[in-house]
Amino acid sequence: MRIERDRPDDEIPTSSMADIAFLLIVFFMVTTTFTATRGLDFALPEDDDNPPVIEKEESVLIEIFPGGALVVDQNPMELSEIIEYLKPKLERNPKKPVIIRPDVATEYKHMVQVYDELRQGEEHGLQEPINISVPTQREIQSFWY
Amino acid sequence: MKLKASIEHKPNIPTASMADIAFLLIIFFMLTITFEVDKTQVTLPKTTLRNEIPKKAAYVSIDPDGRIRQSDGNDQSALVSGPEDVLSMAATAISSDPSKTFVVKADGGVPWEKVDQVLDALKRAKVRDLRLLSDQRTVDDY
Repeated sequence: MRIERDRPDDEIPTSSMADIAFLLIVFFMVTTTFTATRGLDFALPEDDDNPPVIEKEESVLIEIFPGGALVVDQNPMELSEIIEYLKPKLERNPKKPVIIRPDVATEYKHMVQVYDELRQGEEHGLQEPINISVPTQREIQSFWY
Repeated sequence: MKLKASIEHKPNIPTASMADIAFLLIIFFMLTITFEVDKTQVTLPKTTLRNEIPKKAAYVSIDPDGRIRQSDGNDQSALVSGPEDVLSMAATAISSDPSKTFVVKADGGVPWEKVDQVLDALKRAKVRDLRLLSDQRTVDDY
């Protein structure tokens, strides 16, 4: 008579492996925070000891006041009007510097808005990127006055 | 004649490859995860133009109360006392890697004076690659 024996199972139990793996996936998905990792390029001019002398009259001065009020070359202006104002000037001299000078109390977002608008000059029909400069207070004090 | 009993099939779902799929996903997540070096809560300004910021960039953040935090891109950001500390950190980072990317993560509502001081410090440290962290501007924002 053949004796029936209980043969031990020779398989590795892998059914719970997927559970562990999915638990790890869920952990990674929950802890991953999607952050804003994009931004505006803000090219800084070289900090030379002998910066090129820019005459105030040659450039366009954009002043930004608290609350976002804009004054371009002494004329109050809306953000959307700036490019139209600059067009004839930049067609004559594409290298004309455009200086952004926010008041110290102006909120940062207003400066970023103006900078963003000027960076899009080519989309508004300008031939070359605008030569934008944002002098810091230290530079204004040491070179302008 | 004795009929052969039909072979009995145990009903089962093949789950052997499930773990492979799951581990593949884990590896994907582990490779793509970027640890946030700066967790300062700010309301970023909105811009239309936005470019991808390289990994391992150094961060300088300014929160709504004007406090400055900085990170060299490897460690978590830490509170600093003023722009002078930003200058020394940036100068150290630039001396080892002159093309290091710096990111300014400032709240949209902070006065320009604060941002100006930080930008001035970075300029003096001869930072060449500077980005202003921003959110996407949409048609609703106009």
